[in-house]
Amino acid sequence: MAVGILLLTHGGIGQALIAATRGVVGPLSLRVASLAYNNGDDVLALENSAGRALTDLDAGEGVLVLTDVYGATPSNVSARLVSHGVAIRRVSGLNLPMLLRVLNYADQPLDSLAQIAASGARTGVVIDAA
Amino acid sequence: MIERDIEIINRLGLHARASARLVQALAPFASSVQLTHRGRQINAKSIMGLMMLAAGFGSVIRASVDGPDEETAMATLVDQFERRFDEAD
Repeated sequence: MAVGILLLTHGGIGQALIAATRGVVGPLSLRVASLAYNNGDDVLALENSAGRALTDLDAGEGVLVLTDVYGATPSNVSARLVSHGVAIRRVSGLNLPMLLRVLNYADQPLDSLAQIAASGARTGVVIDAA
Repeated sequence: MIERDIEIINRLGLHARASARLVQALAPFASSVQLTHRGRQINAKSIMGLMMLAAGFGSVIRASVDGPDEETAMATLVDQFERRFDEAD
């Protein structure tokens, strides 16, 4: 049993992050899916697709929904997913460090994984001394 | 606790894929594994920790391993660096 991961992002960001993560760690330790929102897309259709994705990803321990920009449409759509009957936690600010760190803690429950995601993303932002 | 210095001899250094590999290799050990480079000490079982070292080719990092299986954990750690994480160069 494990948490599922749904990336809900602008354009192909989610798919690109999944491809990059596979390049780093090989086969993924959790079930991961992504959905893209493009300008002008039907938001209700996206919500319905995301709801179906939650059902597919959930193995009983819930789904961690990762979005890129807090307050933007993908993130706002994710907020509406709380009524779809699957336990979710939502974290915004998705970046590659966040995804790498989440997949490195695949045995963690949903609540912990949300914290792990947030700290992974923050740790990844570094003003280099050089 | 055992300590030793390790030189990074693979061309790409401790990059993302190498870090992921190292984390996987060290995960089975009970011992804590700390690496220190340029004054920054990190947990070598954490991929983001390893990335934070930004340790490139030719860097020398200090490894400290502490715990019940520290000898085999250190051997595994050193082996990964010496075999260049199985990279071509």
